[in-house]
Amino acid sequence: MTKSSNTPSSKKNESLKTTRRNFLKSAAALPVMAVAPGLLHAASSEHVVVIGGGFGGATVAKYIRLWSNNSIQVTLVDPKALHTSCIMSNLVVNNRLRLDQLKITYDSLRDTHGVTVLRDKAIDIDPAAHTVRLKAGGNLHYDKLILAPGIGFKPLEGWDKKVMPHAWIAGNQTTLLKRQVSRLAQDSTFIMTIPRSPYRCPPGPYERACLIADHFVRKGISETDEARVVILDANEDIQAERETFSKAFDGIYRNIIDYVPNTEVFAADASTMALDTSFGEYRADAINIIPNQRAAWLLRKTGLTDGGDWAPVDPVTYESSVYPDIHIIGDSQATKQPKSGHMANSQAKVCADAIVRLMKGHAVDSKERLDNLTTNSACFSPITYDEASWLSANFAYDKSSGRMKLEHIGEAHEWSKGNYKEMFAWASNLFNDSFI
Amino acid sequence: MKSSFLHSVVIATTFLCSIAQAEDVTVNRLLASQCAQCHGTNGHAVGDMDGLDDESFKDLLEDLMDMRGEDRPDDIMDHQALGYTDDQIRRIASFYALISGKSEGTGESEHEEENEKEHEHD
Repeated sequence: MTKSSNTPSSKKNESLKTTRRNFLKSAAALPVMAVAPGLLHAASSEHVVVIGGGFGGATVAKYIRLWSNNSIQVTLVDPKALHTSCIMSNLVVNNRLRLDQLKITYDSLRDTHGVTVLRDKAIDIDPAAHTVRLKAGGNLHYDKLILAPGIGFKPLEGWDKKVMPHAWIAGNQTTLLKRQVSRLAQDSTFIMTIPRSPYRCPPGPYERACLIADHFVRKGISETDEARVVILDANEDIQAERETFSKAFDGIYRNIIDYVPNTEVFAADASTMALDTSFGEYRADAINIIPNQRAAWLLRKTGLTDGGDWAPVDPVTYESSVYPDIHIIGDSQATKQPKSGHMANSQAKVCADAIVRLMKGHAVDSKERLDNLTTNSACFSPITYDEASWLSANFAYDKSSGRMKLEHIGEAHEWSKGNYKEMFAWASNLFNDSFI
Repeated sequence: MKSSFLHSVVIATTFLCSIAQAEDVTVNRLLASQCAQCHGTNGHAVGDMDGLDDESFKDLLEDLMDMRGEDRPDDIMDHQALGYTDDQIRRIASFYALISGKSEGTGESEHEEENEKEHEHD
């Protein structure tokens, strides 16, 4: 947090000599000295089930174990053996990173923190019986259930994601988009559709557009070439880092990027590579459909969205407004905080703290806690091959409305190589704080 | 930048407040954990990022108050610091001082270090 570099103390030098395993153990032990005795020593066999092993799910599993001094059992359920990070995945599209560099195991959650990791898919929830049904068979009983399943997509007529990838959940889709981008020629047209807000990672689409425009630039495009990146935005304006992206679209990428706001996409046709929109038909050599979004399927099926797109929660605990003992964090919940991995991590800590308090019989609504309930989001956006900008936002609980209120927001005055370097330090620490 | 006088007032006031009333350390822990996304769990940073686990109460408090006081905030941390109240910043510094073992009054501030360097040439 400090701007100045620290002078390593003898204590710090000693810690550098320890093995990685010892380091992790000492890190896990540290909270013990700071925890109130009542929260520390109550023996417990309560069971928390976490559905979804992304940034939110991994963080909440880890921090419940840390803050309960390992007294609360936590089971994490995810169908995949590894998590592939959406964060930094645009750098796979422009060939700065390999996808395998964004894959994170659950080994540390299991081996260091004692989380039970189940590779399975949750297919049903019975809120009355407090059980989750698993695809492989059998039911998992929970005292508290935490849902962190990410996003779901709204349907779009005629859309085939194998032809027009979304690449908005990292993995094979990211690889497919990368392949399509690598084939673009100097007279190619690339279209990206941006969903109506709210959607996952508000600056992400604009960042991706910049990197694909940069791809054209680095191929040596001149002002007479026909290459275009057309952004069809369902929103009336740029949704994040407006100053930065406006400057990029109107400046270094003015001959490549066409930004078209207020554009609704009605249908897609993979056979003709065409989109039917509120401004008529668009055709392109490659199309990146980032569809309109909503809460993940399991939440809608269980009725947790209460008829809306997202699941309403109390941000003091992230408990569902529909069913007790079910908590929802990250992209699927309905608070107005931005949907991002960093924010999911932030909400996960508030939720973990609440779960530990609730299970140990402590209040979650003391004035002191409510006065200090904060979340934040920070992210870096690559704008060129080796330069980045950043966005910072802080939220605090507002007792009068019962909502998280934006306290402060800021964005970088300019993109820079220094920011690009800092982006990797940010991501490394975010990955570690969530999964290690 | 805020003046060193103002720093002294803030530090003295917050120190007295912390003596006057017992506070829930787990509230401070939750608040401070919101730094960990960038600075590592319990302030143990990896890579090219400043850790917080060796920070004294006084140094961290001063750094954060400096960031909040920038006339033209241009660093991401200047903006992050603007998202917190004085009391929240004190609580964050207090939590990391528990980890570093450098609680109120035991830190050697950068200003003091700088003053010492200046006086070496006297």
